[in-house]
Amino acid sequence: MATEVLADAQALRTARRRRALAAMEEHDIDALLLGREANARYVTGAQRLWTAGTRPFGPGCAVVRATGAVHLVSSWDEGIPDDIPHDHLFGITWNPGKLLAWLKDIDGLAEARRIGTDSLTPRFAKLLPRIFPSAALVDAEPALEAARRIKAPEEIDAIRTALAVAETALAAAVAELRPGVSEHHLAAVFMDVMARQGVTTPASQQVVWIASSPGPPSRRATATARVGDLVAFDAGVVAGGYTGEVGRTWPADPTAVDATTKDLYRQADDVWGRLLEACRPGSPCSVLLAAYEAAGHVPPPFPVASGLGLGFDTPVVTAQLPHTAAREVLEPGMVLAVTAQVTGNDHRTVFRKEAVRITDNGSEVLTSAPHWSQ
Amino acid sequence: MTVAVSVELEPDLARMQRGRWVRLQQAMADQGADALVLLGNSNVSYATGARWSLSDPGRANVERPVAVVTADDDCPHLFTTYPALGTLDLGLPDDHVHGPVYPEFDEGAEAFARMVAELVPHGARVAIDELPGSLHRVCGLFSPGAEPTSADDVIGAAKLIKTPDELGFLRRALAITEQAIAPTQASLAPGMRQNELTARFLRAAFDLGADANILDPIWQVMPASRADGPWTTHGDIACPLLTTERELEEGDLLWVDTGISYAGFASDFGRTWLVGASPTPRQQAQFRAWREIVEAVLAVTRAGATGADLTRAAVSASDGDRRPWMEHFYLGHGLGIESAESPFIGTDLGDAYDERQVLAAGMVLVLEPLVWEDGAGGYRAEEVIAITEDGWIPLTDYPYDPYGD
Repeated sequence: MATEVLADAQALRTARRRRALAAMEEHDIDALLLGREANARYVTGAQRLWTAGTRPFGPGCAVVRATGAVHLVSSWDEGIPDDIPHDHLFGITWNPGKLLAWLKDIDGLAEARRIGTDSLTPRFAKLLPRIFPSAALVDAEPALEAARRIKAPEEIDAIRTALAVAETALAAAVAELRPGVSEHHLAAVFMDVMARQGVTTPASQQVVWIASSPGPPSRRATATARVGDLVAFDAGVVAGGYTGEVGRTWPADPTAVDATTKDLYRQADDVWGRLLEACRPGSPCSVLLAAYEAAGHVPPPFPVASGLGLGFDTPVVTAQLPHTAAREVLEPGMVLAVTAQVTGNDHRTVFRKEAVRITDNGSEVLTSAPHWSQ
Repeated sequence: MTVAVSVELEPDLARMQRGRWVRLQQAMADQGADALVLLGNSNVSYATGARWSLSDPGRANVERPVAVVTADDDCPHLFTTYPALGTLDLGLPDDHVHGPVYPEFDEGAEAFARMVAELVPHGARVAIDELPGSLHRVCGLFSPGAEPTSADDVIGAAKLIKTPDELGFLRRALAITEQAIAPTQASLAPGMRQNELTARFLRAAFDLGADANILDPIWQVMPASRADGPWTTHGDIACPLLTTERELEEGDLLWVDTGISYAGFASDFGRTWLVGASPTPRQQAQFRAWREIVEAVLAVTRAGATGADLTRAAVSASDGDRRPWMEHFYLGHGLGIESAESPFIGTDLGDAYDERQVLAAGMVLVLEPLVWEDGAGGYRAEEVIAITEDGWIPLTDYPYDPYGD
């Protein structure tokens, strides 16, 4: 983080916008109307206010393929790259009529035959065809996912930066782990150290949970780590728009780890070894689900792997989407958050998440946070 | 009908959800919706009572709990990665708790649409809050022959009025925020960086039990003049500008704006601070002028007043040549399930819109007027109140230091 609000670096912007325009061409999309912040950031390189959680769709960013012009809702030019001139900015509005009038006046949009959106609401599904009567409204997510899933070298650097911040904050939280400490306090330490490094936006805010019960991960006012507990850390930050995530599980008291727990760690290591072995270019994503089966474990209920980038990227690999996993292929330039999780009969869980870059001939692990070792 | 507005000191999740269920069913009946399909985080939280730590939007779009509500049912269906969340925490029956769904992907959207089709009666009028392309392609499976209508309108109508339990949880969210702000403000000194304020605030908020940070906290150093700030589309002040590692200097004028989530409620906090300095007489006068605007607005605030009554009061109490709030925002907004929700007052939706916004007992308002003297900066803060039949009650009592007596 700098001492002023900067747009993303030009090399990064250029690489991304080129990929986005190429994907538009390949998917025969003449113009994009984008509501999702990650997509808007991908094509604009503009830094806007970060908020948590899902947001209703609103077309606050437009891209016209014929001219390459980018238009954005922002009431000021701070954080906006200089290749988006002032007359391509539109002030924040609460009035859908004004927003639609702005879109209607954008050069090239009225002529677009196919306009892609990255989501819709019932209202915009009705309104947009009225102001662009000659255009077909199409789903732009497949094109944007295709563009975003392969990372430019500058993007990989950005992910490494985010991972370094996440790992430093994780280490600080782990250093505070001892019997009697609360989940709240460990999460608080993570947030503090994250922000002190100049990154004020977390990716996952669960951060920590006592992984010794059947309940969902949650921070409870009363939850304090006891001797014998396993404590899981899901450390994620958003730095420069890019997500870095790393997961570890530590015993609350390293001197009180019983044989069953040691065995659980061994099983998690085994799963992780098989997952890493499976991370090869050209393989279908289903190899990651198969790695769990081969190790004799059921994949966790959340994605086993998902792309890291501006937020979440594809592929998202989960047992709930088996056909998708069989169809999608690991490709050089993808960066994945890969999770190895093993749960014992007593609900105790060892959770481990690593960032893996798929290379031309194999993979590179980008995370290096220490593990508990026997 | 007179509605007594109170803030429950011991808010109860199960009782809150029963109250919401009644409001939700009524709103569905009013708007002709037989079923709701809810994908948005705040809508799912409202309908089910589920709470979780909101994540970055990129992740939140993919790993999201989803809810389905049908008319005449007793409780919602929840689709979640963690079924125990539904059964243990929320007390939902087993047949209303389902595994995770992935409507963002073609395979997941189709599987989800088929499940919805089984839950929703044939021919039901379905409302939905979001239509990702993948789900839009298959929504005919559960809404044959008709495009779904807007579930945001249904939830919006239901959540407009807060029950005593809701006000109780909201006040806890506000209290956590202010208890975390207090040590942050006490630490403020020249040489600190903006991001260090964030570090202190987040640490304190999470220690106090906040579920999540909901926006990158704002500690904006205000220039004395608009011309010294960034270019803007409207010529008005640029705000909020993002936090950096900028070092704060003695006398810096900070406009603070932040909020957290707790138990499914969003808080909001806004004040003006000075770095290592006491306000000058002119700055004190700005604060007094701001107080006068707030008092003028509060004097007309009660159930039955319109948004336009409030904006007129603010303008009358203001000396300047401008409407005394940010041109790209509002004089006031609702708060609770989201950090800004209906009613919106003083937006660019216009005066006629404000005339139609009629306040009702149980609504929550955040008033955020400002005073600006170009060349001498200004004052801005936020007041959080609940509307009552004959006036309002405050939901916070954070001091205005270093301004005031």
